Amino acid sequence: MAQELLDWSADEVRAIGRHGPWPPSPVRDPSNRVSGTPAGIVLGEHLFNDPRVSANGRMSCATCHQAGRDWSDGRAKGFGTVELDRRTPSLWNVGHAHWFGWDGAGDSLWAQAIRPILDPREMGGSAARVGRLVRNDKLLACGYERAFGTRAGDDDERLLVDSAKALAAFQATLVSPRTRFDAFRDALVTGDRAAAARYPLPEQRGLRLFIGVGNCDTCHFGPRFTNGEFGDIGIAFFVRPGEVDSGRLGGLARLASSPFNLLGRYNDDASGASAQRTRHVQRLHANFGEFRVPSLRQVGRAAAYMHDGSLATLEEVVGHYSGVDPDRLHSDGTPLVRPLGLSPQERTDLVAFLRSLDVDPPPRPPPPPLCP
Amino acid sequence: MRLLAALFVVLFANAAWADCPLDLGRGTGWVIFSDHYMIAFRPEPMQMEVGQPFSLLFNVCTKSNSPAELLAVDAQMPEHRHGMNYRPTIVAGTDGRYRVDGLVFHMPGRWELSIDVRAGEESERLTHDFILK
Repeated sequence: MAQELLDWSADEVRAIGRHGPWPPSPVRDPSNRVSGTPAGIVLGEHLFNDPRVSANGRMSCATCHQAGRDWSDGRAKGFGTVELDRRTPSLWNVGHAHWFGWDGAGDSLWAQAIRPILDPREMGGSAARVGRLVRNDKLLACGYERAFGTRAGDDDERLLVDSAKALAAFQATLVSPRTRFDAFRDALVTGDRAAAARYPLPEQRGLRLFIGVGNCDTCHFGPRFTNGEFGDIGIAFFVRPGEVDSGRLGGLARLASSPFNLLGRYNDDASGASAQRTRHVQRLHANFGEFRVPSLRQVGRAAAYMHDGSLATLEEVVGHYSGVDPDRLHSDGTPLVRPLGLSPQERTDLVAFLRSLDVDPPPRPPPPPLCP
Repeated sequence: MRLLAALFVVLFANAAWADCPLDLGRGTGWVIFSDHYMIAFRPEPMQMEVGQPFSLLFNVCTKSNSPAELLAVDAQMPEHRHGMNYRPTIVAGTDGRYRVDGLVFHMPGRWELSIDVRAGEESERLTHDFILK
């Protein structure tokens, strides 16, 4: 059925065009020598699903990052050995990010993969455990040798880092499929009005709000709908009475003290270019209460919302931005986030647009054998 | 083209700056000046993208031809009242030029670049606006 096409201005078409094309070209992480390599990816997928990495032998990466739940867990807050303070982020398109974790304490996907392995609240593993596993398990040892070109040695920390690099190589392959929005975006940019008009009107109106009065695309920028940086959106920062989650402020402190950051000896990029953000990032008072701007692709499938899972539905998220209390923002300047005062119809339209960023991913085949 | 036009205007107005080398290697860039300083700069890579690190190459000249120093480079979004999340570093080249690394404009919109320069005891801040789309 033919539908209408809003009268999009040239500036609006340009703004919409910035959210594509999709999918992006594959990326290779220069800090990770097995990034993009078939053997590294296969090893990573096997390690991702292996519960022996954890201290109790029951938890793998896939326990919380489930393929059938858009690489998250469907819970408001993550759960390892105890309930955590933050939501489990989806892994969709994570290979295109440059800061990792809600607080950005990781500056590479492989460094980020190490954190939950060692965290006693999550997998509670150790370099020694991972080292033993990769050395002693016949298939994993074979997979390691294929991926890295050498046999797994005696250096446990090195094996932990290499395992994390294989995990990162696998996770970087998780790219969400094209959506209704992408078809609309491409049609609009190429001037195919008939194809563009197939995008329902509520979604078009919601998109106009998103790039217009909502100003959402200032932070939810680009093809992944995130600028990859951090913002304070007025979510309560007390996690328990007397205890706060300082967000980016604490994340930058952890980044600086991590032996696995890109300024350290495990960065495979001899040029140093991959460490540019880490070298120059500055820790500011304004970082308190800031959390990473999440991608919005597959957002409707990733409930709950916000870094702490405090909002259960997309409708609540839009309601939050519509009526956010500026006094709860920690910013000392003009806040980017301000109450939008959306009408019920506008809220419905904005949610309709956000849901047009969702798509059912195809069934995932089992991982190929490590060493057939 | 912008560089050539700016160069013409500057040289026409003040022949004392004629020796200032404005071409930073790609035949394009920006030239800004005050009563005492003229600064040529260009980005590397040439296309600045939202969220992508870039560098700026500078040449700083004075009206009196006295040696000038690039002290600091920073950027703010005046409408949002915030700066960059990154602190650039300045490396002085042997040819009198400067390279500033580690700039990232992490949002679209207007960014005001501030450039602090000094010649002798006299320092000054010059600014230049970028609109990133």
